Parts: sequence; C-alpha cells; structure tokens
Amino acid sequence: MPATLMSRAMGFRLRSLALDPKLVAIGFGGGVLSGLLGVGGGIVMVPLLVLWARYRQRDAHAVSLGAIIPISIAGIATYGAAGEVRYWDALGLAVGSIVGAQIGARLLARIDERLLKVLFGVFLVGVAILLGTHG
Amino acid sequence: MTGPPLYVALISFGVLAGVTSGLLGVGGGTVIVPFLTLAVGLSQHAAEATSLLVILPTAIAASFVLRHRGVGDLGLALRLGLYGAVGSVLGALLALALPASTLRIVFAIFVGLVGLRLTRDGLSRSRT
Repeated sequence: MPATLMSRAMGFRLRSLALDPKLVAIGFGGGVLSGLLGVGGGIVMVPLLVLWARYRQRDAHAVSLGAIIPISIAGIATYGAAGEVRYWDALGLAVGSIVGAQIGARLLARIDERLLKVLFGVFLVGVAILLGTHG
Repeated sequence: MTGPPLYVALISFGVLAGVTSGLLGVGGGTVIVPFLTLAVGLSQHAAEATSLLVILPTAIAASFVLRHRGVGDLGLALRLGLYGAVGSVLGALLALALPASTLRIVFAIFVGLVGLRLTRDGLSRSRT
C-alpha cells in the first residue's frame, strides 16, 4: 500500500485504519469529489474538517495536506496510465512548488487563525467563480 | 512558449502554486490546471494528469515541514487519505457516467457558499 510505504519512509507506522466515522466520511467524500471533478480533495476536506468535524483552521489545513498524499497517488495510478502526463512540464512546476510548499507550510505554522480563515474563504469564492464560469 | 522561457515560467509559477498549496492546505491543482491550459496550452486532460504529478511532491514537502513544526497529525492524515484514495477512484469512474456540467455548477455553488461562510467567520470578532 503506497500510504504505508510513505508513512514508513516518514518515520512512523500506521497504527491502524480505524478512524472517527466523521473523518472516514470526509476523506472518502473528498476523494470522490476529487476524482469526479478533477479538483483537489483539499478544497472539500478543509471546509468539512472545520465546519463539521470542528477542527481548528490550521490543523484542518495540515491534515488535508497529508491526506492529499495517498489521494494523489491514487489519481496518478488512475489517470497517469492514460499516457497524457507531460513529464518535463511537471518537473519544471515541481521544482518550483517543492520550494514554495515549504514557504507556505512555514507560513501556515504561524499565521493568525482568523486571517487564515479569511484567506481560505476568499480563495474558495475565487475558485467557485472560476468553476462556475469555465464549466 | 518553448525552451528556457517556458522553464522560467513553469518554475516561477510552481513557487506560487507551492506557497498557495502549503498555506491553504489544498493540492494546488485548482491553480495549476488553468495555468497549464491557458498559459502553456495543454489540453484539459493533459493538464489534469500533469498537475497530479506536481501535487504529490508538493504535499509531501509541505507535510514534512508541518510535521517538523508539530502542526496537525500526519498519521491521521494519511489514514484519512487512504479512504480518500478509494473515493477518488470511485469518483473518476462516476465522472464517466454523469453529466459533468451540472455537477460542476452544483459544486461551484457549494464551494462559493462555504467560502463566504468562512470569510464571515474569520472577519467576525467573536469567533476564532
């Protein structure tokens, strides 16, 4: 299982797959919408973790990022097989985004919770407009 | 765009997508896919497939930093993501059987309302 290998590589073992049913539903729902609409699971998981599971905003973002690891592996396995991946473009973007992700994560670790909520809310409204107009 | 200018653009946009991703806890596909279709000229399908390959290392890099800083719970996140992985395969299969435009509009409305709610919560003085 990719996630098991991933967690070993990161220095710990998965204790078990048992989770709060609410979290199972959020993970599963995030995955379904991600596969269904080609959007990231985070855009669904973060709001549900905050508004339904009552996570703090910062923790919800961190949990969402971790959950995206196995979800994107499944996505690559599903779509990558289609042979449409442009590897050199992906490499160029990844070089930048690996650096950017570390800057973003450091900001996430210290940003004010309310400011984070507003930033994420505005981001969601922007995405909604994009989805609504480019459908 | 081709050659060196393309790679400068890709890497620069990658940094921007990475910061957004790490801070907002999303994969980055939402910003990477439009960039690849509009600026690089890939087809929608190629852009989505390519963005997945960028999302994975981005999420790993951000998760390493967050784990080091003690934010969140990576073990729990990975378990949550395993259920998500099952869901995403089902979602992809479902996508082939349902009218995509309707789903997209419904989803856009859902995301928009949630965005407004979070913005309001964040701006209100009495809540955290």
